Amino acid sequence: MSEFGGMEDLLQDFLTESSELLSEVDNKLVELEKRPNDKNLLNDIFRGFHTIKGGAGFLNVEAMVSLCHRTENLFDKLRNGELTLSLENMDVIMAATGEVREMFGALSQKRQPPPAPAHILAALDLVLQGEIAALAPVAAPAAPVAAPVAAPATAAPAGGSEPDWQNLYDNLLDKAPTPVPAVAAEPAPVPAAPAVIEGEARAVMVEPMQSLKPAPAPKTQPQGGMQQVAAPETTIRIDTVRLDQVLNLSGEIGLTKNRLTTLRSDIMAGKMDTGTLKALDEAISQLDLLVGDLQNAVMKTRMQPIGRLFQKYPRLARDLARQLGKDVELVLTGEETELDKTMLEDLNDPLVHLVRNAVDHGVETIEERIAAGKSAKAVVELSATQVGDHILIEITDDGRGMRPDVIRKKAIEKGLIDVETANSLDEKQSLQLIFLPGFSTKDQISSISGRGVGMDVVKTNIMKLNGRIDINSAVGEGSRFSISLPLTLAILPVLVVRVCDQPFAVPLAMVREIIPIDAKQVQEVSGRATIVVRDEILPVKSLAGLLGWQETQVPHFGVLMQTAEHSFILAVDSFVGRDDVVIKPLQNIRPNGVAGATLSGDGSVVLVLDMESLLASSTADASSLKTSRFITHAA
Amino acid sequence: MADSNMRFLVVDDFSTMRRIVRNLLKELGFSNVEEAEDGQVALHKLKNGNYEFVVTDWNMPNMTGIELLRAIRADAQLKHLPVLMVTAEAKKENIIEAATAGASGYVVKPFTAATLDEKLKKIFANMNK
Repeated sequence: MSEFGGMEDLLQDFLTESSELLSEVDNKLVELEKRPNDKNLLNDIFRGFHTIKGGAGFLNVEAMVSLCHRTENLFDKLRNGELTLSLENMDVIMAATGEVREMFGALSQKRQPPPAPAHILAALDLVLQGEIAALAPVAAPAAPVAAPVAAPATAAPAGGSEPDWQNLYDNLLDKAPTPVPAVAAEPAPVPAAPAVIEGEARAVMVEPMQSLKPAPAPKTQPQGGMQQVAAPETTIRIDTVRLDQVLNLSGEIGLTKNRLTTLRSDIMAGKMDTGTLKALDEAISQLDLLVGDLQNAVMKTRMQPIGRLFQKYPRLARDLARQLGKDVELVLTGEETELDKTMLEDLNDPLVHLVRNAVDHGVETIEERIAAGKSAKAVVELSATQVGDHILIEITDDGRGMRPDVIRKKAIEKGLIDVETANSLDEKQSLQLIFLPGFSTKDQISSISGRGVGMDVVKTNIMKLNGRIDINSAVGEGSRFSISLPLTLAILPVLVVRVCDQPFAVPLAMVREIIPIDAKQVQEVSGRATIVVRDEILPVKSLAGLLGWQETQVPHFGVLMQTAEHSFILAVDSFVGRDDVVIKPLQNIRPNGVAGATLSGDGSVVLVLDMESLLASSTADASSLKTSRFITHAA
Repeated sequence: MADSNMRFLVVDDFSTMRRIVRNLLKELGFSNVEEAEDGQVALHKLKNGNYEFVVTDWNMPNMTGIELLRAIRADAQLKHLPVLMVTAEAKKENIIEAATAGASGYVVKPFTAATLDEKLKKIFANMNK
């Protein structure tokens, strides 16, 4: 059941556009806390609320019109200098944007949102009167009383009253002043309305001055709202230039197809002279280029700037920091970096977690920072850059850093690893322990970063996106989480290798180089085959062994591969070549170490290997090539 | 009566709003509608195209609706263009400002196709005087 019959399309547009707008407003509000008198910021925020109100009016979303009308008025007064912003009132304004977001959530489910909680409206009205308002939860019981008063009061100026424009205009031109007062009288009820609400609010508020410590209840609401909105987004906005490119290329492909159809008729009719074959060759080469271009163009239509994700976080960091009594600034860079839309959505949860983690666990309290000789304000930087065919996202904090020994100790205490394993880990490997399921460095799970999601989920989510996550940390200086992601999941460049007479595809991103395996170079180090490549001792792992198969021949080639943790040489029988493939997930079955399947040029099925899980699932002994095998061969 | 082929330029920074106005105009039989996202873009388009009617929002970045209106009235080529101002405010001072700047009409958001029709008809009637 929809309450927006015939307007669903418009509603969708409105939600997409206004959600972005609201995120901008949220960010500007965070900025405003630093520069409360910045006219441009005040103007932009005013316009944001104004625009949302305008759209909501057409969609008859009374609750939103009523709420935005207040915030808009407030910022109108602020930008005109009629009011000055006291920082205490920021919480009220922030709660209001959180409420607007909640309403977006309701609208996205095609429901009319209920009016904003009366205590928020009342607090806003107080702020409008130039007073300091508190979002005291005590105000909540007033809801049934105040809400009905609020809604009709503000609905009036936005909707019904309208001056007799023509009359006024004519009169102005004729210099006859009479009708002007008539117009002036119409908007008059506006200021009258808040007075009523204000009376209500004052009556229920116990201590309006205790505003520095915001009540937790309204605080958490906006966060819930954010996630609600982030989840369902079924439309995408595409630059028309990109769309035209797709259209253009598909047209070109159509033309090439026509050419091929003609050539096929010729060949079927027995016309096989060199001219025809050369034309066929040309047409196919052209098709090859065009399809590649089309794939790129289609991929580009799905690319969205990561800023759309990033812009939600400064507010998140700010709210969390205030709750924890910390002073944290979230600095964003590289927002224009583009990423596939689906990945962008799946990246939200891990990034939210990492940002929260940095604010909660990463940076110290103000007192601790000052004691350590650092600036009181902590800086968390969230950056995105494109490095080759990868996107690098980094979350860096200037906090206390992570201590490998503490992490090792915790992991042992929680029974995640044994002492022996712990002792064999170097510093970097120790940091990786935080990604183990069940690991949490705090004895008591904080209600803030906890939320039942651990770092292990962050890592799993990143790995689902074919990405990897690394940690760098220096005690006392801070930590950096680096996430590396492919540009898209749609097309994967692979290297196709053969083993036991069957082709397998491995992601090209992990391949560093290909070397011939010469038995003379194979050395045994503690019972395992290794090859020294440019002074680096690398273990040799047989693909057949990893798959649990018997080798049918001695591997001739080694693929030097690099995963997040280590490098190794994958021994294979031969190569087919490199290819750009589209991975199809396997239905119902999920064999270990297989990411999916694809079709090769000759129409046969090729399994695409998931090296990380393949390595994890097989024991070192099964896959490490026994040196003896090479030695026998050489002899 | 106005020509249904009359060329409109709808100016608003909010694309949803442009779409709403475009839909309403279509309901009234005007389908020759172009869009611009702020006053600057609009002015550029107006100078390079044969537009016959401007519907503009007031509050926009870069160049507001009222600035656009003044620029239109100051341009020898464009000054005769009918300009309908769209705003969310029914404030007296805004209306006076629009009128003195030479707006042909003023409509308050949200409005229906009927309201828009009425406003347009008044403007057309004035134009034919």
